[in-house]
Amino acid sequence: MSNRGTEPVAVDDVRGDADRSATERAEQEGLEAGSSRGGRVWELLSSSVGRNLGLLVGLALLCVVGFATAGERFLSESNLITVLLLASVIGVVSVGMTFVITGGGIDLSVGAIVALSSIWCTTLSVQATGRDVGWLTMAFSALAVGAVCGLINGTLIAYGGVVPFVATLAMLASARGYAEILSNRRTQIVDVPGFTDALNARPLGVPMLVVIFLVVAALGWVLLNRTTFGRRTVAVGGNPEAARLAGINVKRHTVLLYVLLGMCCGIAALMIVARTTTGSSTHGGGYELDAIAAVVIGGTLIAGGRGTIVGTVLGVLIFTTLTNVFTLNDRSTSEQALIKGVIIVVAVLLQQRLAERKVAKT
Amino acid sequence: MNRTPLRTRLGVGAVAGLSCLALTACASNDTSSSSEEKGSSSANAASGSNDESGDKLVIGFSAPAADHGWMASITESTRKAAEKYDDVELRVAEGTNEVNLQISQVETFINDKVDAIVLLPFDGDALTRVALQAMEAGIPVINVDREFNDPNAARVTVLGDNYGMGVSAGQYICSQLEDEPDSVVAEIAGIDSLPLTQDRSKGFKDALDECGLDVDARVAADFTVEGGEESTRNLLQAQPEIDAIWNHDDDQGVGVLAAMKSEDRDEFFMVGGAGSANAMREIQSGDGVLKATVVYPSTQGADGVKLARLLAQEKAMSDLVEVEVPREVQLYAPVVTEENVDKYIDTAFES
Amino acid sequence: MSTAATPPDQPGAPLLQMRGIVKEFPGVRALDGIDLDVRAGEVHCLLGQNGAGKSTLIKILSASYQPDEGTIVWDGEERRLTSPMAAINAGIATIYQELDLVPGLTVAENVFLGHEKSRLGMSQRSVANRATRDLLKRLGHSEIAPHRRVETLSPAGQQVASMARALSHDTRLLILDEPSAVLDAGEVANLFRVIRGLTAEGVAVVYISHRLEEIREIGDRITVLKDGATVATGLSARDTPTSELIRLMTGRSIEYVFPPRSEKPFGDVVLEVEGLGLEGVFADVDLTVRAGEIVGLTGLVGAGRSEILETVYGARKATAGTVSVDGRRLRPGQVPAAVGAGIGLAPEERKSQGLLLDQSVADNITVSSLRSVSRFGFLDRGAERRKADELSTSLDVRPSGVARKVRTLSGGNQQKVVLARWLLRGCRVLMLDEPTRGVDVGARTEIYQLVRTLADSGVAVVVVSSEVDEVLGLADRVLVVREGAVVAEAPAGELDESKVLDLVMEGRVA
Repeated sequence: MSNRGTEPVAVDDVRGDADRSATERAEQEGLEAGSSRGGRVWELLSSSVGRNLGLLVGLALLCVVGFATAGERFLSESNLITVLLLASVIGVVSVGMTFVITGGGIDLSVGAIVALSSIWCTTLSVQATGRDVGWLTMAFSALAVGAVCGLINGTLIAYGGVVPFVATLAMLASARGYAEILSNRRTQIVDVPGFTDALNARPLGVPMLVVIFLVVAALGWVLLNRTTFGRRTVAVGGNPEAARLAGINVKRHTVLLYVLLGMCCGIAALMIVARTTTGSSTHGGGYELDAIAAVVIGGTLIAGGRGTIVGTVLGVLIFTTLTNVFTLNDRSTSEQALIKGVIIVVAVLLQQRLAERKVAKT
Repeated sequence: MNRTPLRTRLGVGAVAGLSCLALTACASNDTSSSSEEKGSSSANAASGSNDESGDKLVIGFSAPAADHGWMASITESTRKAAEKYDDVELRVAEGTNEVNLQISQVETFINDKVDAIVLLPFDGDALTRVALQAMEAGIPVINVDREFNDPNAARVTVLGDNYGMGVSAGQYICSQLEDEPDSVVAEIAGIDSLPLTQDRSKGFKDALDECGLDVDARVAADFTVEGGEESTRNLLQAQPEIDAIWNHDDDQGVGVLAAMKSEDRDEFFMVGGAGSANAMREIQSGDGVLKATVVYPSTQGADGVKLARLLAQEKAMSDLVEVEVPREVQLYAPVVTEENVDKYIDTAFES
Repeated sequence: MSTAATPPDQPGAPLLQMRGIVKEFPGVRALDGIDLDVRAGEVHCLLGQNGAGKSTLIKILSASYQPDEGTIVWDGEERRLTSPMAAINAGIATIYQELDLVPGLTVAENVFLGHEKSRLGMSQRSVANRATRDLLKRLGHSEIAPHRRVETLSPAGQQVASMARALSHDTRLLILDEPSAVLDAGEVANLFRVIRGLTAEGVAVVYISHRLEEIREIGDRITVLKDGATVATGLSARDTPTSELIRLMTGRSIEYVFPPRSEKPFGDVVLEVEGLGLEGVFADVDLTVRAGEIVGLTGLVGAGRSEILETVYGARKATAGTVSVDGRRLRPGQVPAAVGAGIGLAPEERKSQGLLLDQSVADNITVSSLRSVSRFGFLDRGAERRKADELSTSLDVRPSGVARKVRTLSGGNQQKVVLARWLLRGCRVLMLDEPTRGVDVGARTEIYQLVRTLADSGVAVVVVSSEVDEVLGLADRVLVVREGAVVAEAPAGELDESKVLDLVMEGRVA
C-alpha cells in the first residue's frame, strides 16, 4: 500500500475560518494550566515513566527488606544471579503475554505450551537429529511447537470467534494432555551435550538464560514501542472496532499476537529444558497465572490498549525477588502466595485510582 | 535400579529389616515412641556419641509442596529432627511443585554455602543438574525419596522401597487368595508419571505373578482424595465383582473408601499404602474393607537430616563398622495388619 | 419561573408540566429551554429532527438525567426525581426503542424484575404469573403466556411485555420512543388499540415517532422541538398542516456557513457502487462519485445509510453488488482492501468506532498510514511526530500538542483528528458518517470547509447526515434513503429542505 492518489490538500486554506473560535482555544488552555502541586505527584505517577518509577520503588523496598533480613547473603553477586535465573524463564513468557494482553486478549495455555514444547524438543527422535545435525534442531522444534499452538489459539479466537479465555483454556487442557501422551508421562532426559552446554554457558559471567531473557525483553520493547506491529497491537487492544475501521487487519494481527506468545513459550521451554536437563509434561505449572500477574502489576491494562515491557520485567523481578527474600528467610511458599495476592490487589487498586484521577481531571 | 529380591515379607517385625539397610524410620522395635517424637524416634541409631553436640552447621532442606499428608509429614518430621540438635540450623525452602523454583532454592543454598543439602526433588531428573552443581561446590547432597539420574549428584540417597511396597502388597494378597487363582485383583495407583508409581506397580505385578494372580483392573488416581474417589467409582463401575484391591496411597484412600461406601460395595478386601494413621485406625477397627496397609515411611527427610549432620561433622554411623556414611539407605516396607497394627500406629502420619 | 397551579383532579388538567428545561453536556447544550404540558388521558406527540433533543428529553422525564435548569411539576407538585426508580415510583414509565428486557427470563419474571412478588425471600411464581396474565389481558394480548421466555417472543410481543412491565407499576404517564419502528402494519394497529385503552383509563402517553401518518392517527396534541428548545406546543395532531409542521421542525435558528461549491467540473468517476445489497438491511444501491464531488446521503436513523457506507468500506460483507475504485473492483468484506484502494471512513460513532481514545493525537493520525512513517516495520518517530504535528496544526486541532490523549479533546477536534488520519493517508474516496454529530457550531463550519477543500483537491466525498440542511448545504448531489432503498437522487440545487423531509418521512414529495 503506497501513498498514491491525491496529495494531502493545501489545508492552509482552512485556517482562515478557524481563527473565529480563538476564545474557545483560550478557554481550553486555561483549563490545562491549573493543576495543583499535589496533583503533580499523581500526574507523574500516572504517566508511564512514573508507573515504572513506582515499580522500581517497590522493587527497591523489597531489596531493602531483603538486605535487612538476609544481609550479605541477599546482596551477593551469586544471589542476584540466582534471582535473575529464576526470573528468566517466566520473564520470557511474560514478555509474550504483555503483547497478547495489550492486544486485548489473554492466554491461559502458556504453561501447557511450555510443557508440550519441552517434551517435543526432548523426544528421542528430535534429540537424535540434535546429535547428528546440531542442537539447533531442538531449539527450532520447540519454537515451532510453540508457534503452532499459538497459531491454533489465535485462529480459534480471531476467525472462530471463540472467547480467548475459553480457547486458551481448551489449549491448556489439550496441550498438557498431549505432552503426557507424547512422553508417556515420563520425564525425558536431555543427552545432547551441545544443547545444555550452550544454554548453560556463562558469557562474561552472566548465565546464558539471563542473556536470553534480557535479549527477549529488549526485542519486545523495540517491537512494542518502535514498530508498526507494536502500534497496531495497542490499537487493536484499545479499540478493535476503530482499529478495524482504520484499515488494520485485526484478525490477522490477533493471530500474530498469539503466535508471538507461543514462540516465547517455545523459548521458555528451551530455557527450562536447559536448566533442568529434562523435558516434562509437568514443566510450566502455574506459569499462566505468574505471567498474567507480572504483566498486570507491571501496568499493562488487563483490558488491553496499553502495554509496557519495562513494567512487565519489573513485575517479574518483583515476584522473583519476593520469592528469593522468602527463601533466604526460611519462610514458606504459602506465606509467599498470600503476599503475592496482596501485592496484585494493591498494585491494581493503585493503578485504578490513578486512572480515575486522570479521567476526573479531563 | 537396585531391586529388592522377592521374598516373603509377612513376618514383618521378626525379620530385622536390612533389606538394603533398614534404618530408623520403621521404628520396628520401639513401640513406645510417640508420634510427637517420630522425627527422631530411632532408638537404634540414637545411641552412642553421635547425638552429642558437635560443630555448628547449616542444613538446607527443600521439598515439593505439602499438598499431601505424607509430604506434609516429611517436612514436619524433618523440622522436628533438626530441632533435636542444638548444633543444626535447618533452612527450610519447602513447598514447590515448580522445578524452576526448586532449582533456584537449591542455588540459594549453594550461594549461602550451607554445610549440607537435604533434597526431596519434585522431579529427580530435573533437579539432577543443580544437585551436581552443589556437589561440585563441595556441599554434600542427601537425596530423599525421588532419585537423581546421576549417582554423582548425591552423596547419600535415602529411598523408600517402592518396588518392595508393591511386592509386600502383592504377597499379602497372594496369601489371602491362595487357592483362588481366578480371583479378580484391582490396583489403584498414584500418579503414573512418577517413577515411584511405576516401581510400585511393577513390584505388585511381580509378586502376584509368583502365585498365579494378575492385575485384572488398574486405575490411576493422583494422590488426592478427589482423585481417589473419582477413579474408584470408575473402577467399581467397570468391575462388578472384585476380590482384592491394592490402593497405593492412604491419602487418596480416604476418597477410595468413600467411593466404596457410596457405591455400597464390600465384597472384597483392600490393602493400603504409605501407612497413614487414618488407615491404621481403620485396620484396627477390623470391620471395614481395609485389612492391611504397606508402610512407606514419611520420616525419610528426618533421616536425611541426621545423615547430613553425620556427614558434615565427619562422623560415621555408629551401629556399622564402616567409617563412612553409606551411599544408599533404603527403608523397609512392612505390611501392617490387624495383628501388628498396634506396633505401627504411633509412628504413622496424620493425613 | 411561574407554574400554573391547576388542581390536578380537574378534567384535562396537566399531569406533567415542564418549564425551561436546560441540559448541558460538555461542549453541547442538548436542551435549551423545553416547555411541555401533558394532560391525563391524552396522547401527546413529540416531533423534531434528529438531534432536536427528543432523546435527552425522554431521559430527563425518566430521570436518567437530571436537568441543569428548569422545573418539573408532576401531579400539581414541583418534584425533583432523582433516579429512574423514583420516576417509576411516581408513575412515569418509559419504553425505549431498544427494549430493556432480560432475554433469558420469562415474561412474568421480566415484568416483576426489581419488584419481585415474594414472601420471606421466596419468589412467588404463581402470584407473579397470575398478575402478569391480568396485565397482558389489559393490554389485549392474553395470548402471550406469562411463563414464556422473552427471547422467544417477536419484537411486537417483547414490546407488549415491556408495556406490561410499565403497567405493573402504577403508571400514569407512559413514554413510548419510536414504538412502531420494529412493528409491521397489523402490529401497529394493535399497538394503537392498546394505547387507546390506556388513555381511556386516564393514562397519559408521550408518543415519539417520525411517521406523520401515525401521529395524525393516534395523537391528540403535538409539541415540536428544534435545536433543544420547544418551538411550538399544544398543536392539534389532526388539523395542523404537514407543511406547517415541517416548517416548525426545520426553521433555522442558527444558520451554518457552508463553503461555496466549486466552479470546476468534476473529474473522473472514482467510486462506483452497483447494485449493492446487504440482506435484510438494504438492496440495490447504485452510487457514483466523481473526483471533486460531494455526494450526500440522508434519511431516517435505521433507513440503512450507515450500513451502506460500512458495506462500501468492507466493514460489512455485501450480499450483492460490487464496489469499484478507479475502475478496479474491491473484494467484499475486506476493510484493508478498501483502505488499500484509497477509501477512508469517518464512522458515525466517533468514540467507539473511530478513535483510540486513550492514545495520543499523533497515534490516531498515523494509525492508518503506519507504513509511511516506518521503515522495515520500524517506526520513524521523528517523521511520525512531524507529520502528525503538521496536520494537526493545519487543521487547527485544539488544544495543540500531538502527545495529548484524544479522549481529552472536544467532539469537533476529535473529528478533525479522524479527518487528519485520512489526509495523511492521502485517500481517493472519503466517506463521512454524521461528520458533525456532537460538534459545536464553530467547529462545524471548519469541518464543512475542510471537506470542501478536500473535494476541491480531487477527493470523492460521500457524506451521510440526518440533518437535511447539512446535506443540502454541503453536498453537490443528494440521495435520499428510506427503508433500505434509494428513493430519490437529485442535484442539491434542485431540492429544498421540505422536499427532502417529505421524501425522508413519506417516501414521496407531497
